[in-house]
Amino acid sequence: MAHDALSFRSVSAGYSHRLVLDRVSFSVREGEFVSLIGPNGSGKSTLLKTAASLIKPISGSVELFGRSVSQLKPRERASLLGVVPQKLDAPMAFSVSEIVMNGRVGSMGLLGRISTQDHDLVERAMIYTDVLPLADRYFGELSGGEQQRVALAMVLAQEPRVIMLDESISHLDINHRNEVLQILLNLNRERQLTIVLVSHDLSLSAAVSDRLLLMHEGRLAADGAPHEVLRPELLGPVYDCELQVRPDPYTGALQVSGNLEGRKLAGSSGLRTHVVAGGGSGIELYRRLLLEGFGVTTGVLNELDSDAEAARALSITSVLEQPFSPVGPIAAECARMMALEADAVIISHVPFGSGNLVNLELADDALRRGRRVFIAAGLAERDYTDGRAASRLLESMTARGAQSWQTMHELIMKLQQQPS
Amino acid sequence: MVSKQESLPRGGWRIKLQELHTRRKRAVCLDNRFTSPKPRRARIALFLAAVPILLLFSLMMGPSGIGIPDLETASGSAIFSLRLSRLLMGLLTGAALSASGVVFQALLRNPLAEPYVLGVSGGAGLGATISILLGASLALPLSLPIVAFVSAVLTLVLVYAIASQGSGGQPSVYSLILAGVIVSAICSSIIMFLVSSASVEGMHNVIWWMLGSLQPASPSQQQVAALLVAIGLGGAWVLSRPFNALVLGRDMAHYQGINAGFVITLGLLLATLLAATAVSLSGMIGFVGLIVPHVVRASFGPDHRRLIPLSALGGGLFLVLCDAVARTVLAPVEIPVGVVTALAGGPFFLIILQKRMKQAWIG
Repeated sequence: MAHDALSFRSVSAGYSHRLVLDRVSFSVREGEFVSLIGPNGSGKSTLLKTAASLIKPISGSVELFGRSVSQLKPRERASLLGVVPQKLDAPMAFSVSEIVMNGRVGSMGLLGRISTQDHDLVERAMIYTDVLPLADRYFGELSGGEQQRVALAMVLAQEPRVIMLDESISHLDINHRNEVLQILLNLNRERQLTIVLVSHDLSLSAAVSDRLLLMHEGRLAADGAPHEVLRPELLGPVYDCELQVRPDPYTGALQVSGNLEGRKLAGSSGLRTHVVAGGGSGIELYRRLLLEGFGVTTGVLNELDSDAEAARALSITSVLEQPFSPVGPIAAECARMMALEADAVIISHVPFGSGNLVNLELADDALRRGRRVFIAAGLAERDYTDGRAASRLLESMTARGAQSWQTMHELIMKLQQQPS
Repeated sequence: MVSKQESLPRGGWRIKLQELHTRRKRAVCLDNRFTSPKPRRARIALFLAAVPILLLFSLMMGPSGIGIPDLETASGSAIFSLRLSRLLMGLLTGAALSASGVVFQALLRNPLAEPYVLGVSGGAGLGATISILLGASLALPLSLPIVAFVSAVLTLVLVYAIASQGSGGQPSVYSLILAGVIVSAICSSIIMFLVSSASVEGMHNVIWWMLGSLQPASPSQQQVAALLVAIGLGGAWVLSRPFNALVLGRDMAHYQGINAGFVITLGLLLATLLAATAVSLSGMIGFVGLIVPHVVRASFGPDHRRLIPLSALGGGLFLVLCDAVARTVLAPVEIPVGVVTALAGGPFFLIILQKRMKQAWIG
């Protein structure tokens, strides 16, 4: 049985104090073109580094063509796996051809001469990537896109059987990006080169890849053909925003787009919201609500509270109470008026105690007067009031139509639905 | 070629021509003119031709007069052998310092790296100061260089251990540089304190040692030093390809099949060996290890296979010339050679670097 080119078996890995990969398992067959997608910080780069044995897994095993990566000699590993980094940095004035020649360093050994074959491989790699005209220029003087092509040439000269590209093509102009992808596709078809591409361009990944691996918070959220992975219900929670997927009317290629396109035309939704927050639980709410075009007011907050600071920084109208004090009657009345002017009241993941129970009561008041109310799930665990007054109020509000929300994405969706 | 063709049978002409044609075609393919290094051959040849001339010139300089001394007389041959052995000291020290600077700059990827960056000077200086002030250097003939060398190596071990804390055994270059600077500063303070509370004579001896000089060391010490410098230079040269790869960063070198941690550790050790040898031989001579690598890199390119030997040669030559100036200009008073290196070499190298800064370092 042929071995997989690359396989991860329940790999956990990370840095000294932070676990990044959490029991990741997958395998890539030889000759496959796979894209690794996922939001920033989901562990894609760490996965690449683990595959190249730059980071040792804490548990689990990584295998290249059936051999454990950590037991391969550096030279052997380099002949199997090449990595094109996000950015290549050469502080000294190496010429482009000298840089590309570095791709042969592993196989040349310490004292071996540069053979004709080495020269040929370097030249071929430079011709493929269209950097031959740059051969005598200094690497450090090239533009970012040209440097990326040189880095790719260097890794091609290394002649690995698997190439991993870490967002290496995102800085290329459209012509050279297509060219580089064309090179990769050709190598993939003609020479069975296995390619793992980390990319943020979901449509592009769908167009070139046999398979997509979707990473989310250090785990593999999905693994399958592009049309299986690129589904809004799968992508939405991972990227925490609304995405549309539709086939291109001419080519049938899958196109993923955010909701920015319609934004300019639609303008702001005009909906006004009043946010009940505190202790830092409101900052992400303010940010997203403002981004989505909602009007936002907030209160009652205590001065010096991080939410109060954020609201001031974002110029959000807010009702403030003295620092570290229970909410008094005047502030409560102001906030009540404010909540009644809004179309919806949103309760963040804020804990409730006797000092700020008033904030929940003003939401209750707004609910009675026909405003929509959204309460962050799990309020019962954050209830520190005497006799669990907040939980009882929650039950009664839920009975009268207050809705619960968990993720920001879900809340925005619910807000945008017209009230029935 | 012509005679060969003439000896061919008539019918073979066409075939031969065709063969010639294909051979030439293949020759075009094989000459790899795009990627073959375009060595600055002319420039390197010029430099190599200048080396013996300049060395000879330095042999002619000295406080006793300019010119080759009369080897027939006893005093003349003594002067000549003194000059010759100072020349060898200069070559050895300069080569060690500037090759060490090349390696540090490559491994730490920092243009300010120099032989003393990991605390070698501070450690060696402290050891030497204690040895001088305790009078041990007078009692035992070889104790000063040995103490200087051992304390330099101990300092490196200390710096490496501090920098490795909390990073799982593999220190980052930044923590190495920081730890080196801090340990150096502490050593300097202790030296200052010791010197300030020492006798006038002790103070004079310490300061003179720290300024550096190429007074010939004992033959046995020179031999040991030459052996150590040869080991350091040879080792560094063997690692020159991995050094090239490491200029692109530790991660990239790792991806290309280099055992990066091993090469970095070994390279730092070799560079420190060179620096410690130089310090134990001639005291602390500054400037050579920092600037000569930059000037050589700017002139002959950054490929370490050429850079390491050329820097060693250039550093040695530079120090020999500086020493010739130091002992001649104010004769019979001798200027410390460490003063001349920066004072005379500084402006000269500044002019070169001004024109070729880009080739020296792109940051």
